[in-house]
Amino acid sequence: MSEQKKGKLIPERLKPVLGALIFFVVMLAAFIASSPEVFLTVGIYSAVFLSLPLFAIMGMSLVFVTAAGEIDLAFPSIIPLSGLAFAWTLQQTNLNFILAAIFSVVVGISCGLLNGFLITKLGLSSLITTLGMNFAFIGLTNVLNNGEVGSFGPIPAQMFWMFAIALVLGMIFHRHKFGLHVRVAGDNPEAGRAMGVNIERTKILCFALVGLCASIVGILGIFLLSTYFSTMGEAYLLPTLAAVFVGGTPVTGGKGTIGGLVIGAATVVFIQTGVVAAGLDGQWTSLGFGLVIVLSLLGHRKFSGRLTR
Amino acid sequence: MSNQPIVKLVNVNKSYGNVYALEDINLEFYPGEIVSLVGDNGAGKSTLTKIISGTEGPDDKGQIMVDNQVVNNWTSAKARARGIETVYQNRALSEQQTIYDNVFLGREITNRFGFINRKKEIEETESLMRKIGYTSKVWTPFSSVNKLSGGERQGVAISRAILFDSRLVILDEPTTAMALTEAAEVLEFVRNLKTSGKSVIFISHNPWDAHAVADRFVILERGKIVFDGPKGSMSADDFIALLHKFAKKDIKS
Repeated sequence: MSEQKKGKLIPERLKPVLGALIFFVVMLAAFIASSPEVFLTVGIYSAVFLSLPLFAIMGMSLVFVTAAGEIDLAFPSIIPLSGLAFAWTLQQTNLNFILAAIFSVVVGISCGLLNGFLITKLGLSSLITTLGMNFAFIGLTNVLNNGEVGSFGPIPAQMFWMFAIALVLGMIFHRHKFGLHVRVAGDNPEAGRAMGVNIERTKILCFALVGLCASIVGILGIFLLSTYFSTMGEAYLLPTLAAVFVGGTPVTGGKGTIGGLVIGAATVVFIQTGVVAAGLDGQWTSLGFGLVIVLSLLGHRKFSGRLTR
Repeated sequence: MSNQPIVKLVNVNKSYGNVYALEDINLEFYPGEIVSLVGDNGAGKSTLTKIISGTEGPDDKGQIMVDNQVVNNWTSAKARARGIETVYQNRALSEQQTIYDNVFLGREITNRFGFINRKKEIEETESLMRKIGYTSKVWTPFSSVNKLSGGERQGVAISRAILFDSRLVILDEPTTAMALTEAAEVLEFVRNLKTSGKSVIFISHNPWDAHAVADRFVILERGKIVFDGPKGSMSADDFIALLHKFAKKDIKS
């Protein structure tokens, strides 16, 4: 790419991705050094590849919301609610997958649209609104759900879905005018409005995208575990948000990176899987998370030269 | 100078409640001239620009004419469609995005699926930057705006304004809060606008900047035009003396 200039080896845009990648490699090296018998076998990686796509797909949509200057904390409940829609339709229709997937996606997007409207049209804070809606959606899920739903065969295709979705969302975020409008919405919405960009609609669509990705994660999660349970979204909240920031998307809005997010998600999932696989107690996972998040933020700040915020 | 004005204001008034912001404004803007619009804070400069750029409507009795035709329900979209562009005081740039993303913001060159044609946008941006006299070799269209100086940022905003065959560019306080060298850079951009055939309304309360670029002066005081005439051989000192004369009159009354 011709972005490079004399005296500048790394294009500005790639710095966050590269930062996330360096961090990931260093972390992996540390894991391998500490217990090579675990981390030089295939088993650990196939374990990572099982759950990585779910965190990554969820996280990509959060890159959009974060770059647009907002936050979404409701997705952990949209996952089980749209998952319930999927499982329930499967049961009712004698395993009509297409119909079930469509219904699930509609439920997911509706939840996202509702969040988007509350935040942009009523001017509510996205932090508080989505925190509240997180409770509302999980409550609704529990009310509607009367116990477990049956099992289905696993489909080991999540990695394919992750890369396909990353490609599409990456193109949209970095090359489509919608992606530009998202970044402008988080950077200087007034500038966008002055040039005729519909900032409110842009933000609503970001929240709808979170709903869409949550329903995809719900569906893939049901395939992965061959079962449905209403707490299936709980484990996503903090790791997914961590993946966004570790991946190099700043919390201040205005920019983000889908490639970085995938690496960030890999980092986060690796800690989850790796800490336990290395024979440490599950309690160490939280400590590992904390250290990695803070260290990576420091790294991004130093690397991208953003010392002011 | 051709004799048909691009924009003509006939008896334009604007009041907010009981307060008259503009009173009986009759003013014409011709092709290829730089008009410096000066006056104290509250003289009505901003209101006047808002009316020309369509973000605010005048009171009922006045008329806005574009190319000698009366226009009704004048909006900013209509103004833009007729070749009247405004560069706002806050520059309306998204600083974390690239120069070319900012130049084309809201009017992106895309394929039919909405994906941005970066190659074309970058080429256009380069030619625009050359046209207005962007001298800095360090910045490419890929640079993000937050790496630029205040003057260079104003340059980005100005190149955006001349993007779509605009004829009249309104610059609202483009040199405010700028260091001398930056302001000089902006004034050079303004002169280059004229060279490339655009008309400019240059709004400022800095008399030196206003004098440096103008072909004609319009002085506003308390919502009225108190002076409208060509620069001719008027020196900066003469011009400032003129401004003081009106300001003193104001204090007496």
